[in-house]
Amino acid sequence: MALKIKRKRQMKAMIPTASMADIAFLLLIFFMVTTVFKKDRGLRIELPTAATTERLVKQRGLSAIWVNRYGKITVDDNFVRPKQIVPIMRRKLSEEPGLIVLIKADKNAKYGVIEDIMDALKEAQAYRVVFVTKKE
Amino acid sequence: MALFEGKRFVPEEAEIPTSSMADIAFLLIIFFILTTTFAREKGIKFVLPEQKQQEVKLKKDKLIIVAINDQGKVFINDQPTTFEDLHDQIKKYLEENNKRIVYVKTHEDAAYDYMIKAFDIAKQVYQEMKLPPKVALGVIRRRAE
Repeated sequence: MALKIKRKRQMKAMIPTASMADIAFLLLIFFMVTTVFKKDRGLRIELPTAATTERLVKQRGLSAIWVNRYGKITVDDNFVRPKQIVPIMRRKLSEEPGLIVLIKADKNAKYGVIEDIMDALKEAQAYRVVFVTKKE
Repeated sequence: MALFEGKRFVPEEAEIPTSSMADIAFLLIIFFILTTTFAREKGIKFVLPEQKQQEVKLKKDKLIIVAINDQGKVFINDQPTTFEDLHDQIKKYLEENNKRIVYVKTHEDAAYDYMIKAFDIAKQVYQEMKLPPKVALGVIRRRAE
């Protein structure tokens, strides 16, 4: 009889939370490991401002061409001449057909340089271009 | 007495309080999620003309030529103007004929900023008039070539 009374005692409702910490830390480590930092450092530039600046929805398949105020051009942190952009962009375009080229040029760069870059892009058939600007 | 002392000497189980570990870890996750800023690219979209179809003959009437010389002076259809007036003038020309195309011609020695400014203004006008933006870009080369 005494045994029966013991059995009827209700068990405490419990959620096992001991592994919660492990789960959370695993998540933390996963995000830390999979985060890729931008390796493209670019040049020191001052972007022009424009009121019609749009946000780009696309985050992949972008390639940046940097132009500083003295007309120096870099692609993927290598200094290039405008003509050298053609093979680089052709290669990138074959890997990523929807490639968008970002032109990150200093506001004081000469327009002639930008024109040369656009000519090279036309030759490489990379027609989609974004002039990177700051929102006014 | 003996019973009492015996009770006192039962060794307590050694324990590290781990119940707050999960809270700490999740707080860290939330902190990092909130402080991460994605470098979203922003700019003005432009599609370059394909080389094959570049020879499109246009009547001069259909173009609004915005020229920028090497000193950063602006001209609209050969009339000198300023960046402040450019907006209203492009609008005026577009209201006459909304099929017109803005053609921004920049001297190769002019600053890139001027081209962006003119492009931006033209795009604003098109947006205000709810028309699809039609802007062409051109270059003025130095004469001694």
